[in-house]
Amino acid sequence: MMGTLSFLLLGLMLSVYVLLDGYDLGVGAVSLIVARGDRERQAVQSSIGPFWNGNEVWLIAAGGVLFALFPQAYASAFSGFYLPFMVVLWALMFRGISFELRNHFESDLWRGFWDVAFSLSSIALALLFGVAFGNLLRGFPLDAQGYFQGTFALLLNPYAVLVGVLAVAALAQHGALYVAMRLSGPPADRAAALQGRLWWLVLVVYAAVTAATFAVRPAAEFGALPLLFVLPLAALAGLILTRVCTRRGSPGRAFAASSVFVAGTLASGAATIYPYLLPGYPAGGGGLSIFDSVPSPAAVGTALGVAVVGLIAVALYTTYVARKLAHPIVVGEEPAARPEGA
Amino acid sequence: MEAVIADRIQFAFTVMFHYIFPIGTMGMAPFVAWFTVKAARTGDERYARAARFWGKIFTINFAAGVVTGIPMEFQFGTNWAPFSARTGAVIGQPLAMEGVYAFFLESVFLGVFLYGRRYVSPGLHAASAVLVWLGSWLSGFFIVVTDAWMQHPVGYAIGADGRIELTSLTAVLFSPFAVWQYAHVMTGALVAGSFLMAGVGAYYLLSRRHEDEGRIFLRAGVIAGFIFSAMTIFPTGDRNGAEVTRFQPVKLAAMEGLFTSEIGAPLAIIGMPDTQRQRLIDPIVVPDALSFLAYGTFKANVHGLTAYRRELWPPVELTYYAYHVMVGLGTIFVVLMALGALLLWRGVLLRSRWLLWLLMLTMPFPYVANEAGWMVSEIGRQPWIVYGLVKTAAAASVNVAAGETIFTTIGFAGMYFALGVLFLNLVLREIALGPEAA
Repeated sequence: MMGTLSFLLLGLMLSVYVLLDGYDLGVGAVSLIVARGDRERQAVQSSIGPFWNGNEVWLIAAGGVLFALFPQAYASAFSGFYLPFMVVLWALMFRGISFELRNHFESDLWRGFWDVAFSLSSIALALLFGVAFGNLLRGFPLDAQGYFQGTFALLLNPYAVLVGVLAVAALAQHGALYVAMRLSGPPADRAAALQGRLWWLVLVVYAAVTAATFAVRPAAEFGALPLLFVLPLAALAGLILTRVCTRRGSPGRAFAASSVFVAGTLASGAATIYPYLLPGYPAGGGGLSIFDSVPSPAAVGTALGVAVVGLIAVALYTTYVARKLAHPIVVGEEPAARPEGA
Repeated sequence: MEAVIADRIQFAFTVMFHYIFPIGTMGMAPFVAWFTVKAARTGDERYARAARFWGKIFTINFAAGVVTGIPMEFQFGTNWAPFSARTGAVIGQPLAMEGVYAFFLESVFLGVFLYGRRYVSPGLHAASAVLVWLGSWLSGFFIVVTDAWMQHPVGYAIGADGRIELTSLTAVLFSPFAVWQYAHVMTGALVAGSFLMAGVGAYYLLSRRHEDEGRIFLRAGVIAGFIFSAMTIFPTGDRNGAEVTRFQPVKLAAMEGLFTSEIGAPLAIIGMPDTQRQRLIDPIVVPDALSFLAYGTFKANVHGLTAYRRELWPPVELTYYAYHVMVGLGTIFVVLMALGALLLWRGVLLRSRWLLWLLMLTMPFPYVANEAGWMVSEIGRQPWIVYGLVKTAAAASVNVAAGETIFTTIGFAGMYFALGVLFLNLVLREIALGPEAA
């Protein structure tokens, strides 16, 4: 019971992370294409400026909550995947630096460099998170404590890379919709056009990933748990709705539908690996589950209670702030992405 | 190289570099909040400029702090996996609470503070500055709680499989060790913030630029600096020391360079520890003073290092020097700030160029004192990672080789060098541009 609640809380926090940081990663991924010239790029970046750091905290906080609820899984995953985690860490650091430094100097060379760095690190993070998600679905060769027994190269297997491509495409679409929703003028038009093309890419890759998932996970699992059909169907419905809404010219609703697609896909994945935190490979081969070496139920209950109360407050004030700052952005009128600075 | 040595070098290096930035954010946050609130209430444009100016410097610090802070959370899992697995039920709690209760508050309302001036009411804008301050101080609280538990574990039980189980979260959060350590750490950060204010103010007054704001900075810095530098010694330093005396007597002996137990132990002001011959070289001591400081009577018996097995000694030289650097600097800070406060009260501070020079030149030293304080705390804790419970040697990941950690340490060194250069460049540039540009 405690284990399942913990699994749900972590799944929820990571999903919120992917939805929120997902759009600003996506904005980063498409920013070089949808925004030309300094003023447009500044406008695009200022659309995520007040939010991206808070969005990223969902990942950091999820790491802390994982530490408290599943210390062994935290220890096994972080030390077992040492190099991959370091690569993610570096991409996170590099992205943060690029965003913060960009507007400190009025120089085309300086800003151009950080724009490219920001975009590339955003794409890299989306790809890395997708590859990690793919590997979670596929499972890992693990020892009894859940320590990874394979190599870095093994993690770059075709299935995981395919999921990585899906993540880049889906989050780029998510980000393009965000730009179309928040901005007006040429960047919004380009974002809408780009999203129209990305949608087909997402559809094709999503179909390919779904087919490939049947190959890496035994089909028997799907019959056992009806949720495993409902959640991907919800995701698919979200994807189709995204198209319907953009056709009707309402990027805000399309963004919401895209959120349903992303969340549905993540939930499908979480339902597939449950009750494992680190599933073994080949699938069905055990792994580190929510029942393995967990703290006492009392400690888990305390951690869950403390986290849930805090997160409710976070959800409330984050929503309040997001509404206050969700004004439409017009290119050229928006001051620097660091209005107090630069 | 043993893996644990590489892990320790990496942690020490990355955390000491990281801590430069929280000193700045925790020390500056109350000043930024004060200027913002004052500007919102009075409409005084000088305070609004002061708030924007320090807000920019705060933000550069914050960004560098976030970027260098993420590796710290990672390293618990990557390089200290057995430690994390064994103690995660306890220390995972404050670390999770830091994310949920502090990081969100700080990040979300910094967004409002930086981007919202044109879109939210002045009241909400000022409130966001206060909430950023609260977030940064809560973050410090949860980190100090985690460290204080490693210094003096409470509220736990040892489970059947050797894992450490949490029995009382409130005991962990509000243990006297944690509370006094937190008070000491925060007053230390406030001293750094005060010296930044006073130093930049002095710089503007000496160079006869931005003198309106310079006076505001100097005044705020000197008043706060006098109060908080005195508080680093008493009560916070004194009480923190009492906790160390009570629970970590070996650390106390290493801090003071006391090798042999003595009734009426002397306090070494200076002197160089010689661990081979177990004595201080060329010491200048105050007789009986250590006994008095530790136990309140001049003839108390203070245990020296030789009263303990050698393998329980922390690295004596580093602990000793770090402690003496901290205390020596702390004393100088009190003297300087007391002089500043006196001259401010007499109304002659602005004309006392010699003191303005001293205040400006002292600006970096509170950083040194803060870092040295943490060195005393953490190096002095060795050979334990959790005092009396878990040895550091048994806490390092067995599945991460020294070579892997050295590889990433080299990477961190390069990245942090570049980051440090950029950071200094940006902050000095803001100071050169001045509050008028803000």
